[in-house]
Amino acid sequence: MPRLNKFRVRIETGDKGMEEPVRFCFNSHRLPLEDVSGGTQTGEVLEGGYEVNSVTHSMTLVGPDKGEWSLKKVTVDFECENTPPYSVEFPAVELDETSEMDIWQDPPLPTFDV
Amino acid sequence: MIKEIIVSFFKTVKNIFSGNSASREEVPTTTSEDTPNTSTAPVEEDAPFSKPEPPAMRRVIRVSADTENLFPPDDPDKVLIKAQPSNTGDQCLFMLNRTLFEGHSWWYPTFESAEGSSLAERLFSLDDVETVLVHEATVTVTRKDKSILDWKPLGMEVGTVLRELLEEGGPLISQKIRDEMPSQDDIQQGIQKAINEEVNPGVAGHGGLITLQKIKGNTITIKMGGGCQGCSSADFTLKQGIHGSFRKFVPQVGAIFDETDHAAGMNPYF
Repeated sequence: MPRLNKFRVRIETGDKGMEEPVRFCFNSHRLPLEDVSGGTQTGEVLEGGYEVNSVTHSMTLVGPDKGEWSLKKVTVDFECENTPPYSVEFPAVELDETSEMDIWQDPPLPTFDV
Repeated sequence: MIKEIIVSFFKTVKNIFSGNSASREEVPTTTSEDTPNTSTAPVEEDAPFSKPEPPAMRRVIRVSADTENLFPPDDPDKVLIKAQPSNTGDQCLFMLNRTLFEGHSWWYPTFESAEGSSLAERLFSLDDVETVLVHEATVTVTRKDKSILDWKPLGMEVGTVLRELLEEGGPLISQKIRDEMPSQDDIQQGIQKAINEEVNPGVAGHGGLITLQKIKGNTITIKMGGGCQGCSSADFTLKQGIHGSFRKFVPQVGAIFDETDHAAGMNPYF
């Protein structure tokens, strides 16, 4: 498991927006995003991140405590130790008070052309 | 009088340093019916680190990330191959921009098993190739010499063989394998039988449970639950135990994938 230095997430909200602050869950610790800009109303785009500096076991985006939140697209930029930065794009998902979305992905294995 | 005071002082000091609480018990407490005695029952303020109520467990939604197209669609006729050595270095995945075995997979554990399959025959002719797994548009090769971690030299040789074979255009997988491939339903029944009769009774002693998640052609995807999820021996169990059982019950089984999230178990070992 790699050590995650920091990450930045970009969330495009679909047709169901929400008003609560965006929280993520890192290794079962629930935290608010930092350095946030934009919003999570219908059609809005929110960006935020966190300097984690810790080995990653799990990382999820937490659904709102009330109502539903449709995510049109989620893009996460990861900066891990000893690995080039990489980006992961997730397709549309709908979250509510019973759900959270797994947004962690291990760094891609290096490839070479043969 | 002075002597009593001095003796009392030394007794108090001695009790304090010996941890004896008698001195505190001797202190009269002013309690009344209106003021409950809180000396034995701690109030909330006295326990700042009391255990908070844990948040309700949520269902974790896992969606596959959108993958970038590995190969640019500029020249579809050109054979493009990317090699991806595993983390452990014992095997290397070769990804191609065309299908080698449509809808199926095949595992060649030995040179003899490659008879009639030009792709595997040519790969086994390379020094150091131990096993070959063909799965749709990929080939996974393990090597005999596990001490070599640099896959570039052997990878280049594998790439050359694959490119030559594809440019020659002949059949890559033997006709016998294609003709004798059981139906997906038969494979599913056989694998379920292996799980029920051999695999799950074997892992039950460790609280484990194996479930068949998906089957496509002769390619199997399983999930390890209970004590197997996150277990440090999960990979060993999969490769040494489950693979063998599956192939014993259904010899035509091809690739076997484990889609368990071992980091999300109740007791992940890392």
